[in-house]
Amino acid sequence: MRKRLTLWVFVLPGLLLYAVLFVYPALAGLFYSFTDWDGLSPSFQITGWKNYDTVLHSLVFQKALWNNLKFMAAVVFGQTLLSLVLALLLSGNRRIYVPLRALFFFPAILSTVSVGLIWSFVYDPGIGLLQGLFNLLGAEGLAPSWVGDRRIAIYSIAAVQVWAHTGQMMIVFIAGLQGIPAELKDAAAIDGGGRWRIFRSVTWPLLAPSATIVIAYTTIQSFKAFDLIFTMTDGGPNNATEIITTYIYHLAFSSYSFGEASAGSALFLVLLAALTWLQFKALRADRISY
Amino acid sequence: MRTYSYRPALRAAALAVLLLTAACSNNAASSAQNKESAAPSAPVAAESTQSTENVKPEEVTLSFLHWRGEDVPAFTDIIGKFQTEYPHIKVEMQTLPSDQYQTAALAKIAGGDAGDVFASFPGAQFEAVAKAGLYTDLSAEPYAANFNEALIEAGVKEGKRLAIPYQLVYNDPIYNVKLFDKLGLTPPDDWEGFLALCAKLKENGLIPIAFAGADIGPGQFMNTMVMNNLPSDDAFTKVESGEAKLTDEWWVKTLSQIKELNDKGYFQPNALGTKDAAAGALFIQEKAAILASGSYQLAQNKAQNPELEQKLLAPITVEAGQAKYEGIHTSTFLLGISTKSKHPEEAKTFLEFLSRPEIAGQYANATGQNVTVKGVEYTTPELQTATEWAGKKTLFQPRFTITNGENQKAVTNSIQAVLGGASPEEAAKEAQAVVDQQIAK
Repeated sequence: MRKRLTLWVFVLPGLLLYAVLFVYPALAGLFYSFTDWDGLSPSFQITGWKNYDTVLHSLVFQKALWNNLKFMAAVVFGQTLLSLVLALLLSGNRRIYVPLRALFFFPAILSTVSVGLIWSFVYDPGIGLLQGLFNLLGAEGLAPSWVGDRRIAIYSIAAVQVWAHTGQMMIVFIAGLQGIPAELKDAAAIDGGGRWRIFRSVTWPLLAPSATIVIAYTTIQSFKAFDLIFTMTDGGPNNATEIITTYIYHLAFSSYSFGEASAGSALFLVLLAALTWLQFKALRADRISY
Repeated sequence: MRTYSYRPALRAAALAVLLLTAACSNNAASSAQNKESAAPSAPVAAESTQSTENVKPEEVTLSFLHWRGEDVPAFTDIIGKFQTEYPHIKVEMQTLPSDQYQTAALAKIAGGDAGDVFASFPGAQFEAVAKAGLYTDLSAEPYAANFNEALIEAGVKEGKRLAIPYQLVYNDPIYNVKLFDKLGLTPPDDWEGFLALCAKLKENGLIPIAFAGADIGPGQFMNTMVMNNLPSDDAFTKVESGEAKLTDEWWVKTLSQIKELNDKGYFQPNALGTKDAAAGALFIQEKAAILASGSYQLAQNKAQNPELEQKLLAPITVEAGQAKYEGIHTSTFLLGISTKSKHPEEAKTFLEFLSRPEIAGQYANATGQNVTVKGVEYTTPELQTATEWAGKKTLFQPRFTITNGENQKAVTNSIQAVLGGASPEEAAKEAQAVVDQQIAK
């Protein structure tokens, strides 16, 4: 009995922190999602499910959800593929690979706001680096409006997200690649397997757990992206880059509709929980042992 | 074998928890005590002041909260003067960037943690703070007479003066006087003239208008573009109440005219991807002849290119003689006193100090911002340029008459939509759909 009490003393600080910083705000947010609180007034009315109805029928929310899915698809595809290619190229033991890995990892240590500001200038149609490149090639008129064209703006930001985090995911793949016993590949080579066949039948299946981690992490990360979009476009032009997190922010702090913003957050929580659950299932299904 | 006793560890943990609880409860108790003592102490202090003149006034610390980090040196000097005159009042200034101001500052004010005196934006933010009952009523304050009455209406709600706008901005595009003179151009007084002016600038290899389409551009430029198209000054208020629509002729016409400027290449290429700083750079480097921003940018432009000669120009979107307004003004930086303040009288003393023409003049000349205080002497050419507009017929910024944040965004988004290729009718319809959802709430 005493031992159990002692154990509780050790668990208590963590539990308290979790309760104060996570459980209480989450429950408070859930409560406010059923009110018309404006974030400043001391009083509010209970409005039932009205906020959920408003948010789900909001044209901007629907656009934000669709943008979020496009952003996620682009980031997951781009980041996974690029980090895998880099990992395959740099997983060996040559001396030059170490600084190269560090170089590709470098953007991951920059703050997202800095990354957003840097790329805002890179994409600028007047003084931007990319525009300069097009000018140099004599193709001034051909440069697209990277973040100004509503059709490509979300993908331009997705490319920045990929640039910033590919190095980080490359490290996960390299760890996975270095864990594959060399004799398996040697055996496959002796059996006459070419490079592609060895990758497809030996390397990739054994790399599946790393791939699942990369995909799971990237999916959640891209869904939660806020600072990059906030810094680069603030959801514009004409909501072309508005995602759920920026939509919630705008509801709360531009429109002072904290009740609706809380309802949006609760829906977002459910969405993320569902995604995480699906990924956990996928993680178990793909586990390979040898 | 060594045996370990858990008792000392348990005692230490229990002691730590106890100390923590005691510290928290002490704080709570002392703050509660402070709260209790604060109220009765004021009359006691007042009584004692009356009975004995030699008793020093109670020392208080005021919190002054605003978003203009660039004004800190100017305000620091002013606060220094104030503290010399009122040694018992200490003013602690805290600034937060304008985007964080929406989040952190208002929470601090609502919680009573800071902001005895605080600044707020007109429009949606003023409405939200007023609705929350956080503004002390300043209707009876005599120093309101120091301000230009017509310019401080943005702080009045339901007949009560809740805040006093301190800064005056003319949200009219800026033009490069030397470039205009070189080409023999003068600000036109009708739409055809404005189009001809842009055409001439373009022919001469200049960007007619530098437009920050990615951020501030639509919200700034829409004001001068719509001011003479509005059927009434409260047209946007009517849109929010459902009495008018964005699909009405006046807004569709405004969108068509903005689209016309874009389609004719009078904005820089890919204007929708250009941010404030980059558009400003085009004007400062004299690649663009007009900058679609406002008088608040004059001093900054001059600092970066001392050779610049700048004036303000508002596009007139109707025929000559039909224009109701010559430009746009915004009185902003609304100074208010929090109802949560424990020292409202001292806060009013600080506001009175800021309202003195010599202090307002010091602030204006140090920051390059015009003010709403009467009788201020401006010393820089940029401030004098804006002052020329004081005698003109200007309209309070129509964008700030839209009090719902989502509606405001829908309106500026419709400008981005036409610049992105949508027809004015489609863009107006899309924006109206968002407004309709807000009305239906």
